[in-house]
Amino acid sequence: MKAIIDCNSFYCSCEILFRPDLMSKPVVVLSNNDGCIISRTDEAKKIGVGMAAPYYQNREVIEKNNVAVFSSNYNLYGDLSMRVMDTLRMSIGKQSVEVYSVDEAFLDLSMIPEDQLYDAAKQIKEITEQWTGIKVSIGVAPTKVLSKVANRLSKKDKQGTNGVMILSTPENIREALEKTEISDLWGVGRQYAAKLKNFGIENSWQLRNMPEEWCRKNLGGVVGLRLIKELKGIPCIPMKNPLQIKKMIATTRMFGKPVHELKDLKEAVATYTSRAAEKIRRQHSAAGLIEVFVVTNGFLNQKYEYNPQAKHTYFILPKATANTNELIEYALPLAEKLFRPNTKYLKAGVVLGALVPDHSIQSNLFATHAQNHLPSLMNAMDNINFSMRDDVVKYAATGMKRNWKMRQELRSKRYTTRWNELFEIQ
Amino acid sequence: MEGEYLYEAGYRGTKKFSQENVRTANATGFGAAADDYAERGIDLNEQLIKNKPATFFFRMKGDAMRDAGIFEGDVLIVDRSLKLANGKIIVAILNGELLVRRFHKNFSSAFLIPENNRYKTINLAEFSDFALWGVVTFTIHQV
Repeated sequence: MKAIIDCNSFYCSCEILFRPDLMSKPVVVLSNNDGCIISRTDEAKKIGVGMAAPYYQNREVIEKNNVAVFSSNYNLYGDLSMRVMDTLRMSIGKQSVEVYSVDEAFLDLSMIPEDQLYDAAKQIKEITEQWTGIKVSIGVAPTKVLSKVANRLSKKDKQGTNGVMILSTPENIREALEKTEISDLWGVGRQYAAKLKNFGIENSWQLRNMPEEWCRKNLGGVVGLRLIKELKGIPCIPMKNPLQIKKMIATTRMFGKPVHELKDLKEAVATYTSRAAEKIRRQHSAAGLIEVFVVTNGFLNQKYEYNPQAKHTYFILPKATANTNELIEYALPLAEKLFRPNTKYLKAGVVLGALVPDHSIQSNLFATHAQNHLPSLMNAMDNINFSMRDDVVKYAATGMKRNWKMRQELRSKRYTTRWNELFEIQ
Repeated sequence: MEGEYLYEAGYRGTKKFSQENVRTANATGFGAAADDYAERGIDLNEQLIKNKPATFFFRMKGDAMRDAGIFEGDVLIVDRSLKLANGKIIVAILNGELLVRRFHKNFSSAFLIPENNRYKTINLAEFSDFALWGVVTFTIHQV
């Protein structure tokens, strides 16, 4: 049996952990730059706060109902996410946990006898909640797709299910699928949902009963076939090895306010390059390609709609590298190339691609010799920045003032990652 | 070995100290004798943190726990995985606020007791929303 464990309104739960006065109150968390609502509690949902909706559109209902609003505090959420995953690994073994996202993990429960599944799931839930303070719900079923269905239903009826739902008998599964609309299925996007509705398929049970050949033809080949098999309870999507080396790493942010000057744009690109370089060093890779992209607010079209436009350009490095200074050197001319005066820039990003393991970098006959001291310099820099935090050591190209940095006006303290921001208790 | 480091930063602090890092390993002659006795140095994490994902740090503000040896500015190490037990110093949720006090119960009622006679004992019968946040296991005090 497979399970998915999912944290309830994860970002909000993280905030409430250190603000118990907000328990069972409407709470929302905003995205970077305080633009959109990216997490809301059930109570916020109830009074009509929309999900992924712009903050300003909801401002009235938020102010009227005294909703607690937070800027996103990724240091806190990241730390608590790690705690949740570590707790799961400690409870059922490292091999049985697949981290799926910051607040979800698939669990392999094949070692637990069927009649003990409910108790086991309940226990995993209770341990996770007690240790980390984050509320979770669990769906258990023969396949990953069905476990997602179970999880969704358990979340919809938290009182009735206590956040645990097991789909093990054919009758249970049938009932659950009949209650699940096509568009709520894991892996069915909006377009497929619309297409299926055209065929007269409304709920997941109807889809389950379609012939496999039909699904292969109409639902994107193997992917569709896999979906239908999973719905029938035949596991087709295996647990993934959690240690996967990424093939591409990107760093991108919205600016706090639009950027007009080349100087600011270059600073931002250099900063994102340093961050991305740090990330590839962390997985012991080196990059063979660097891409820079910018997003401008474009031109207003006839309807005066917001019409952002992205432009990008890339450079293939003569020799793969993980050294920040080299990468910045390649990135800055790309930024200059993209820059046009009198343009508003909203966002920029850096992508490092063609990643290779850093111990097997192909040499290039025409490139200058590698400088051997650089890896130790990078190591020292990462060491200092990791232990002291906040980019204590940085390249001057990344700017001193960084007045393009994103807005986080309502961020809570980083209670779990900074000594000087610990919760002060009386 | 390599996989182990995959998602960590380059930081190789005390926790990653292994026998290969023992300096005397390069020594020849007499110094090499010490190699047989080389071991990992003392790591405070082993002593102070029994359950990492459940351990949180707080900073003491005020003198409510003075007589228990907890002073303003001390770091409290709090373990959420421990059960509520009589006589433990705990972080409690009371009235929507976090509070550090000693938990005491007798056959009929339960109290949160300050360790400073200028503060009042709290009778939990008067509150409906008492809950345990975590149990204080150690404090770090600068001398």
